[in-house]
Amino acid sequence: MTMIELHDVTKDYGDSRGIFNINLSIESGEALGFVGTNGAGKTTTIRHLMGFLKPNTGTVKINTLDAWQDAAEIKRWVGYVPGEIAFPDVSTGWDFIQQQANLLQLTDLSYANELIDRLQLDPSANIKRMSKGMKQKTAIVVALMANSPILILDEPTTGLDPLMRAEFIQIIKEEKAKGKTIFMSSHMFEEIEEICDKVAMIKEGKIVTVTLVSTITSTENQHFIIEFSNEQECTRFIQEKLDSMAISNSTVSVNIENNALNDFLAILSTYQIDNITEQKHTLQEHFYHLYAGGQSYN
Amino acid sequence: MQEGNPIINGTIFKQTLRANVKLWLIFTIVLTLLQIVMVAVFDDSTLADVSHLVEGTALAGLLGQTTLLSMLASTYYSIHGVIFPIIYIIMTANSLIASQVDRGSMAYLLSTPTKRSTIIVTQAFYLIVALVVMFCIETTAGFITIQVIHSDMDIVVADFIMLNVGLFLLMFAISSISFFFSSYCNLSKNSLAFGAGIPIAFFLFQLLSSVDDSLNVFSYFTINALFDTTAILEGENYWWKLIVLLGLGIVLYIASLEVFKRKDLPL
Repeated sequence: MTMIELHDVTKDYGDSRGIFNINLSIESGEALGFVGTNGAGKTTTIRHLMGFLKPNTGTVKINTLDAWQDAAEIKRWVGYVPGEIAFPDVSTGWDFIQQQANLLQLTDLSYANELIDRLQLDPSANIKRMSKGMKQKTAIVVALMANSPILILDEPTTGLDPLMRAEFIQIIKEEKAKGKTIFMSSHMFEEIEEICDKVAMIKEGKIVTVTLVSTITSTENQHFIIEFSNEQECTRFIQEKLDSMAISNSTVSVNIENNALNDFLAILSTYQIDNITEQKHTLQEHFYHLYAGGQSYN
Repeated sequence: MQEGNPIINGTIFKQTLRANVKLWLIFTIVLTLLQIVMVAVFDDSTLADVSHLVEGTALAGLLGQTTLLSMLASTYYSIHGVIFPIIYIIMTANSLIASQVDRGSMAYLLSTPTKRSTIIVTQAFYLIVALVVMFCIETTAGFITIQVIHSDMDIVVADFIMLNVGLFLLMFAISSISFFFSSYCNLSKNSLAFGAGIPIAFFLFQLLSSVDDSLNVFSYFTINALFDTTAILEGENYWWKLIVLLGLGIVLYIASLEVFKRKDLPL
């Protein structure tokens, strides 16, 4: 069953800013990672999911209801971490958590307490004096505490230290295991790789691709960068019947299928080599490739 | 979750009350003290002296007659009692909606099953109730002061009450202007430009028009003229003016609800 569906959604702010003809659908229990540079339209898309913005054309459906028309109704199933954390005028973290629980008509705070423990949050602190990371943790607790079946997370790990980020990813993986539908935007490719089934890339307000994470990070073939001792060796190597490409006078990038690795090593042994490195197939690489229109080697 | 969706949300109201009660208390105390002082210092002979001093100057127009109520009408009910509540309204109306949209904290209210209309109605209810209670306290304090200090004077209580009802209705109308722009604008600076600019312009126009007859034309450009203290004290027909203030307020509060329900929120 489709839980989140954007059908041909356009919001034109003029000067080619906005989002254009966005089509996305996320099935129940699926996790979609949403990546794109700053200003590409990630937050604008999320604001449509939340019913904050009305699309010029197209429809946004959450659990078959219209995200704009039935904005209040939909929030019964949605937990949301906003991209920018600005809390209401309350004094402590507890006051805020309690107030949100009241608005959600949530009486059982046991899951909230569990999350507070796991994220090492001190909710008794004055909310205005909280660090960015503390605020982010508070926002995460509030978004998850009602055990909503749909989670919409706008860059949820901003401001978290690496340990807390790992803990957060663990929590979200558990949420996913519970069968929740997740829509998460992020700058951190590792996060998306770990959590999401699919990744959608947005560029200048348009969806560039929607790909399964498993195909991007597949290990059916491997990718090496080889640095030869001299140019002659390099030129000679290019002649070999391999999927290779010269990067510079003495450096070559080569793609090898897993079952051809031994042959490749045999060939390689006849060359003078300074350095060989394996390039992991990462989302980041894929992303750079699509974004810049060329591969990245780093 | 919210069966029948109560139109006023208790949780939001309580939070608004907690966040705004200090400001309300300060303004209520200042307004009440001003009312008490203005009533208490009245003395037939002082006023005669003052009238004498300003005779022939522009200020003479401000101090025409010498009863307690007419003195209050030309001072408290046209200056202090008007500008202080206006400042309170400007600050509060902006913080109730626009500032929460501008800062982004409105996202938290709207990430729960709370309708936009519930938020507007709850916040408008707070602003109106705050003004009602403020003027009830001020009126009661003024009434008691009159009874205690000027028990010897012959004061028409009904006129005194009507001055306060009129002032309240003026503030109700002004609050609807500020609240409307708070609901309409996504930025505090825009909300304040209109929500503060218009009420202050109205106040200044009214002040100018009362200084001299030649400036009377300004009274056509301010809703403050609809709170016609002279008409109230001299028993002229003032009801329609108060009804216009009430109607304007109701229309703008409804308009606030409608624009907020329909607009895009950059949260």
